[in-house]
Amino acid sequence: MINESISVIKVRDVLMVAMPGDPDDATVAALQEKTLLAMEQHEVRGLILDLSKVDTLDSYFARTVTETAAMVTLMGGDTIIAGMRPAVAITATQLGLDLGVTRTALSVDVALEMACFQPGQVGP
Amino acid sequence: MVAQAGGEVAILIESDIVSARRAVRESASAIGFGLTDVTRIVTAASELARNVFKYGGSGVMRWKFLRDGIELAFVDEGPGIADIEMALTQGFTTGGGLGMGLPGAKRLMDEMVIESSPGLGTTVIVRKWKKV
Repeated sequence: MINESISVIKVRDVLMVAMPGDPDDATVAALQEKTLLAMEQHEVRGLILDLSKVDTLDSYFARTVTETAAMVTLMGGDTIIAGMRPAVAITATQLGLDLGVTRTALSVDVALEMACFQPGQVGP
Repeated sequence: MVAQAGGEVAILIESDIVSARRAVRESASAIGFGLTDVTRIVTAASELARNVFKYGGSGVMRWKFLRDGIELAFVDEGPGIADIEMALTQGFTTGGGLGMGLPGAKRLMDEMVIESSPGLGTTVIVRKWKKV
């Protein structure tokens, strides 16, 4: 099985992490470590998790996302989950997923705006 | 009919969960389920395939087309479920997870049948019907 890769890009003061569409558990687990290491390395203030390519968000994947957000908080950062597709949002809610207090945005575009221009949050 | 009427995916290693998801996505799409229902079915399959791998050790997922829907069967020869009613309770887990796999899959599908005997394994059958 080909391990789909996770791309982590630094934009201004935030990290953008794009999740692949259909990752295996190992790839999902790698998300956490890769993201936290990048946080430290680039000294960014927050993280945008781009889920726009994700077409299956099961409980394992969702738990890793919320855990990662909690870990980012511990490191002093802020997380925005962006771009969840309608079918995924419907399914996730019926499955019983709870993303907790994690902030969300319709798209990466909106998330970047939230991250860069909201005083007291991520960004200047 | 162009699409195959059924098939199976062996669940032996963790990445087979992805293979099971892909097979289900392909077949559910092929018989005309809409994107939201396909996502529901694939997500339920992901939860149940992970249960096979995590609790059963290994097993198989079989799928087949019904007249107006799809049926997925997840079969393992693991330790079985001691208390099915408990296992269907939201938040109950023996594996350190969130405890939403089985009850969540039940909500996403239209029908669920669980057969399990301690020591003999577990079979979970789920069905989804096309809304006309």
